[in-house]
Amino acid sequence: MIRVFVTGVRLQLLQLMRSGFDISAMLIWPIILASIAFYLLDAKESPHLLFAAALGTAVMMMWAQVIVGAGGALDNQRVFGTLELLVAAPVPLVSTIAPIMIASGAFGIYGLVVTIVWGRLLFGIPVTIDDPFAFVVALLACVIAIGLLGLIAASTFILYRAAFALGVSLQYPVWIVTGLLFPLSLLPAWVGPISWVLAPTWGFRAIKESAFGGSAWPSIGMCVVVSLAYLAVSLVCLAYFERLARDRASFRLA
Amino acid sequence: MRVFFSCGVTSCRALFGWVNPYVFVPILVVYPIAQILFFAYLGRSAGVESDAFFLIGNTFCAASVAAMFGMGQAIGGERRFQTLPLLMASPVNRLVMYTGRALPTVLIGFLVAAIAFVCGAAILDVHVGRNEALALVLALLASCFTCAGLGLCIGSLGLRGRSVGLFADVMAGGLLIVSGANVPLERLPDAVQSLSSIVPLTHGIEAARSVAAGAGLSQIGGLLGKEAGIGAIYMTVGLVLVVLFEREGRRTGAFDRF
Repeated sequence: MIRVFVTGVRLQLLQLMRSGFDISAMLIWPIILASIAFYLLDAKESPHLLFAAALGTAVMMMWAQVIVGAGGALDNQRVFGTLELLVAAPVPLVSTIAPIMIASGAFGIYGLVVTIVWGRLLFGIPVTIDDPFAFVVALLACVIAIGLLGLIAASTFILYRAAFALGVSLQYPVWIVTGLLFPLSLLPAWVGPISWVLAPTWGFRAIKESAFGGSAWPSIGMCVVVSLAYLAVSLVCLAYFERLARDRASFRLA
Repeated sequence: MRVFFSCGVTSCRALFGWVNPYVFVPILVVYPIAQILFFAYLGRSAGVESDAFFLIGNTFCAASVAAMFGMGQAIGGERRFQTLPLLMASPVNRLVMYTGRALPTVLIGFLVAAIAFVCGAAILDVHVGRNEALALVLALLASCFTCAGLGLCIGSLGLRGRSVGLFADVMAGGLLIVSGANVPLERLPDAVQSLSSIVPLTHGIEAARSVAAGAGLSQIGGLLGKEAGIGAIYMTVGLVLVVLFEREGRRTGAFDRF
């Protein structure tokens, strides 16, 4: 299973790096979103706020890549007729689908680099990381947690042929309720508990705390906790939706 | 007329894979409403502009996404499903065929924007008077037309390459900032401000914001004229490009490549 997982991650990363759409989307969108945030927040008065916005934008791109990119990847498998083969492979389905999600999340690190370089060059934001070790660990924890959250969504993508459309629609709602670019206090109180169960909330907090000198480890711990929960839920969901898709013979429907 | 309407209807149905229309809801209803809320809250957080500013800006962007992706995929999708050679072999008038495909995207763009505006206004508690509705509708229609023109330019690239969605995605993203939808134009660098005057949406958004601020139809006539004029230019360039790229595609045998 480990060999299947590692091969899956490697293949997905290779595909992403061969895809003009993914490469340019990950180049353009962080720049656009970060620029909007930078211009609205005003670069001169709050440089540290801008660095936080850059980190928030990077986490937004990780989620976007997982939910849209991976949705598109599964759509392509369907169109090319390889989804059936993937499901029929004599390994658990999670070991072939999870690599797509994790690799997509990891590809979001490229978005982090783009955002920070752009912010540094054009807006002169100060890029100082207080605890580099915790920052790297936080980044990895964030990638895995977001990837596994995407795995839950992916289980429905197995069933529906509108995976890409569903993925696109989930982008902004998660950006809103996880407080990546603005504080949750602006939103109604009932949004708070929703944000607690979403990986980008903890991933962003962990990355931000490690960069700004706070204690990142509690948030990293929460990333681990939600990751385990996502894995458990996705295993159940994948099994259920796989059975449903087999019953309906819908893997081939493109 | 038969070709005009049948091309439009068939292309529109194919665009959404409308065996079941549920695809419409996540992309063209949920996405734009969530986008409006995201930028409105970002604006509140930054203390810049009002909710109405972001509501209008992102409503127009929603129309642009529908019009540009729709028009782009109306041609690009043919390659994906390997029907492009058949389309190019058909003897129909190209002007009628492409304008027939543009009409549904304009209408869908308008419908999407209207839904997003009504829902966004209700959630953000923004009030727009009935007297202003007509002027807003005209501004929106002019912008949808301009975006369909840009979409035709993007779609023409589908006759030469595979990744039409890539160009549409980049353009739609660029419009979020360059058109002034989410950042007041005076905050942007001079070069971007200059660029904004020739891209779709800028004048339409400005007209709509003027209406929301109390301007009458007569006061925004110039802006609507500019928006429609820019749309006519994009539409003309798009039609020229599809003719040129069709000729080039025939010469190089590019229609079958996927």
